Amino acid sequence: MNQRLIFPVLALLLLCALLLVNSQYQARRLFMELERTNMRQQANEIEWAQLQLEQSNLAKHARIDAMAKSTLAMQPPPASRTQYLTLGTP
Amino acid sequence: MTRSTPSRTAAGRGVAFSASPVLAVKLPAWRSRLVLFFLFIAFGALAARAFWLQAISTDFLQKQGESRYARTLEVPATRGKIMDRNGEVMATSLPVRAIEASPDDVQASKEQLQEFATLLGIGYGDLKKKLDSDRNFVYLKRQVDPELAKRILDLNIPGIRTSKEYKRSYPAGPAAAHLLGFTDYQDVGKEGIEYIQQKSLAGVTGSRRVIRDRQGRVVEDVEHLREPRDGKDLTLSIDNKIQYLAYTQLQQAVDKFNAKAGAIVVLDVKTGEVLAMVNMPTFNPNNRQGVDPSVMRNRVMTDTFEPGSTMKPFTIARALDKGLITPDTVIDTPPKLTMGPATIGDSHPHASSMTVTNIIGQSSNVGTVKIAQKLESHDMWDIFTAAGFGQQPRFGFPGAVAGRMKPYKSWRPIEQATISYGQGISVSLIQLARAYMMFARNGEMIPLSFQKLDRPPVAQRVLSERAARQMRLMMEKVVSSEGTAPFAQVRGYRIAGKTGTAYKVEGGQYVKKYVGSFVGLAPVSDPRIIIAVMIDEPTGPQHFGGQVAAPAFSNVAAGTLRLLNVAPDAPITNVILPAAPLTETM
Repeated sequence: MNQRLIFPVLALLLLCALLLVNSQYQARRLFMELERTNMRQQANEIEWAQLQLEQSNLAKHARIDAMAKSTLAMQPPPASRTQYLTLGTP
Repeated sequence: MTRSTPSRTAAGRGVAFSASPVLAVKLPAWRSRLVLFFLFIAFGALAARAFWLQAISTDFLQKQGESRYARTLEVPATRGKIMDRNGEVMATSLPVRAIEASPDDVQASKEQLQEFATLLGIGYGDLKKKLDSDRNFVYLKRQVDPELAKRILDLNIPGIRTSKEYKRSYPAGPAAAHLLGFTDYQDVGKEGIEYIQQKSLAGVTGSRRVIRDRQGRVVEDVEHLREPRDGKDLTLSIDNKIQYLAYTQLQQAVDKFNAKAGAIVVLDVKTGEVLAMVNMPTFNPNNRQGVDPSVMRNRVMTDTFEPGSTMKPFTIARALDKGLITPDTVIDTPPKLTMGPATIGDSHPHASSMTVTNIIGQSSNVGTVKIAQKLESHDMWDIFTAAGFGQQPRFGFPGAVAGRMKPYKSWRPIEQATISYGQGISVSLIQLARAYMMFARNGEMIPLSFQKLDRPPVAQRVLSERAARQMRLMMEKVVSSEGTAPFAQVRGYRIAGKTGTAYKVEGGQYVKKYVGSFVGLAPVSDPRIIIAVMIDEPTGPQHFGGQVAAPAFSNVAAGTLRLLNVAPDAPITNVILPAAPLTETM
């Protein structure tokens, strides 16, 4: 009885040991991936902040104002050339 | 193996192993016992060693082990962004590097150092001097772009390191410098909104323990000691477009009238939000090197001035509220009014009697004093206090002042008279702008906010609706062609406002320096904005509020009303400018 049981148990033990090794490996692998993703997230956040800043810099009113006036020769419309549309009146 | 195969072993020949003659040597029994004993001793030693390692010195060993592969890492947290009401970034933090050196450890060839100096953008001599210092740690350059820092590290000079720091960027630059303030190298707010909101903007750095492998990669989390918390983003009530508009207009006005300083505040009447707040002179918050600290003062908050005639509406509104006068009441206005040793006069001739509307329109001191004399001193005190004069604004701006207002019980009659037209009292521009809320909001006051609000705050009634509306109509006369501020007119909109010009007080004496101001609201039919303009010490021939501050008001108001999509309430031909506008009384 005991003699016969020892081999399946041994096999089971071996299997468990291998599974443990495997799961440890998986854990490490996933953890590395998590780390990498975290790093990428941080880098992306920084990049986003940079792009936001760049957008703000490029869309700066001072810049638009200067470009519209100098390169495009634009000017704000005088009130005499403005037509106001009022809701509800024909 | 079959028996047929002859075997050469003794056993094969039928002799039992134990009976083998080879073993028949007689050895003393103690020898085997001795071997056995030594074997046990050896096992015992192993067991003892194992016990020693596992049980006794385990702490020490674990610590030693940990110190070789476990590390406590800082988890950085970033400072919150500041955005305007439309989500445009006004301030953001980006990681940069600081270049540091331990001068004793630096070993580099001359070529290497020369290249290093070029990368740093400093002279070779300067670099050499810094590296020759006795200190064992010097910053060579701070706030360095990460890419440049990497190139410097690639030079591989021993003793040169970089460390992480943050650089705060302000895209709006000088236009919002005073409003936003700035941060120091440690990313701690030092002025303006950055200072006030430091607690919520600042992030809390977290830390965690990890296990690293030989190549420095993190392979396992041991524990999170402290979760990092990023700073909260802040959405301001400021509208970047209006802020910039106000900035350019103020700059023009200050240049044109050769003034020492100036400021503009734009308020949203419906919500109490501050839409713009600008100051001149200003500075670039992105590069503050060599900026005179006095330039960094937020004059809207920290500087008080005698408001002059911009105070008159409050005195007269109180009299209207009490039913002592109506806009059409005729008041005797002699050219001069003598009170004891003092004489109060107007700077321009006027009729010997005027209606209350004309007193406001032409800004008559004599008329205002006559009305003030109908009031008790505490009546005036009440309305000034309700307007917020003499009280510290609750924004937390560093250096914000309460202004000066004497308690009414100590007012002498002459003081009550001068205070009624804004002399002998001092206010800040933000107080003055907010005070006009009572006229714009039909007699209600609301608190101001620098943060975008979801719903308007609770209002408090300080004046009857009738008096506020009457006052607004009277102030509309100020910008008419017969008033003191025709230049404040805006095409298509009805404007109401009041000019102010006051002598400055220096060392307790009035000096021949002026502060010209204009506070106005628009449109009169249903006010949406209040704009206050202050021009400090205009030195040209023009120095009256109606001359120096009103044009800036007009331009800012026109742009702001358009940006806010406010429907015009007047025909576009409403602007009528007189040949020679009336100058106001001082």
